[in-house]
Amino acid sequence: MQAGLQTKETGPVGSLEDAAEPLLELRAVTKTFGEVTALARLDATIARGEFVTVVGPSGCGKSTLFNIVAGLEEPDTGGVLRFEGRSCHAADLLGQVSFMPQRDLLLPWRNVVDNAILALEVEGVPRQQARAQALRMLPEFGLAGFENQYPHQLSGGMRQRVALMRTFLFERGLMLLDEPFGALDALTRAMMQRWLLDVWQKYRRTILFITHDVDEAIFLGDRVLVMTARPGSVKLEQVVDLPRPRRPEIVTAPEFIRLKRILLEAIEEESIKSFQSATVREQTS
Amino acid sequence: MSAAVMASPSLAAQRGILGAVLLVAAWEGLARGLDLPSYVLPAVSDILASIWSNRMLLTQAAGYTLFEALAGYGVGCLIGIALAVVITMLPPVRSVMLPIATAINSVPVVGYSPLILLWFGIGVASKVVMVAMAVSFTVFLSTLAGFDRVDRRAVDLLRSFGAGRFKILFRLRLPTALPLMLTAMRVSTVRSVIVAIVTEMLGAYGGLGWIIYQAVLQIDFVQVWSAIFVASAISLTFFGLIGAIERRILFWT
Repeated sequence: MQAGLQTKETGPVGSLEDAAEPLLELRAVTKTFGEVTALARLDATIARGEFVTVVGPSGCGKSTLFNIVAGLEEPDTGGVLRFEGRSCHAADLLGQVSFMPQRDLLLPWRNVVDNAILALEVEGVPRQQARAQALRMLPEFGLAGFENQYPHQLSGGMRQRVALMRTFLFERGLMLLDEPFGALDALTRAMMQRWLLDVWQKYRRTILFITHDVDEAIFLGDRVLVMTARPGSVKLEQVVDLPRPRRPEIVTAPEFIRLKRILLEAIEEESIKSFQSATVREQTS
Repeated sequence: MSAAVMASPSLAAQRGILGAVLLVAAWEGLARGLDLPSYVLPAVSDILASIWSNRMLLTQAAGYTLFEALAGYGVGCLIGIALAVVITMLPPVRSVMLPIATAINSVPVVGYSPLILLWFGIGVASKVVMVAMAVSFTVFLSTLAGFDRVDRRAVDLLRSFGAGRFKILFRLRLPTALPLMLTAMRVSTVRSVIVAIVTEMLGAYGGLGWIIYQAVLQIDFVQVWSAIFVASAISLTFFGLIGAIERRILFWT
């Protein structure tokens, strides 16, 4: 099932780090929930400083993959999980990975700054120090002057930026972003994508980013992983060799279109499979 | 409704005041116009006059009842919240505790009053225990429902930051439960005064319930109404106060 052609490719363009040892490595990771196999022998590696995007048909186990990497869910025995070169349990990753779920999940009783420092507070950083750190970061996240506002007073894009800031302030080797811009309108999303790339290049974090939008996956990623229909594994690993920094008009470049065609084809195949298996299940039940 | 009446002179408040004035006027007119005997319905003016002339006695009784209600209320809220916290922190306890709590709660708390009077005497202690029982169940069940209302994904988010149970409790569960918890505490204010008075009527050395009971024996119905009026005033003030605190705390809802 794992058709992943393992391309030990050059790291992100301009990366000076040695990518010989991957930051995160998953080998034959399987996860079943009762009768349902969500992930089946999934292999993936992420190098330091890399921006990896994951696309796949709905219900392909992307979220299960994320929950495992975030440490929230333990995979079935038999697979290998390595982080920073050490073999580990998923639970060891709790507090080691900065995780941003689909919904912003801002706490309505905390203002912008106090929402942003939530992770730091949990870590035990004194509040005043954490607040000062967050205040310095506000302009970069387009939130200057909004520090004392509460979530219900903010637009969807701003709430998402607060959530991203919370994720960035929790400085960990790996950032997990689960469709962070899924709920935003197209214009805001495009702006947020460019902005995220700027921030990523400045801070040089490693990012694993789930999306269902192929354009977004290519535009952002150094590498795109296409997942198979359930049970999920990596169907295709596509290196995106587009120059950085990426301009918005890159989406019309021939190379971009070529990559998009390859990816869409792979996703299409899997979508049909997952659609058919769903139909079969309906008929048999 | 009455909380809104006390808080701000809004349109709702004006309507509330108007309603109260109309009710009192109709009452007065009915009692005077039909010349109703006092055991049916005394006039409001007679009741107010009686309150004034018995002010020493009523103030003392009100203080007695208020102390019982407040002490029981405080203890009850603490017990209710503490139980909900324990059950949430130790999930196995839940399946043991919840059926017991539900079983005890399925009988009106007044049903336990003979036993409580027997165990704690007819002094203040039995009233405090009764009020605490009534309040703690309401607060317990609501607080638990509030804890359960927490977003699973928010819990996961905090876990991913490395937060343990206590950090999740203080940073997420308690604030999430606050709206329900405070609603239960507001509703319990009135309940605490009612339970204190009812228990006093079953045996006491003082308090508004005791006055009502004595007045009935002496066929003094104006006095009964006086005590009821004072009790209502206490209940409404208590209710309004907790309601105002609630609105201050829950600025985000």
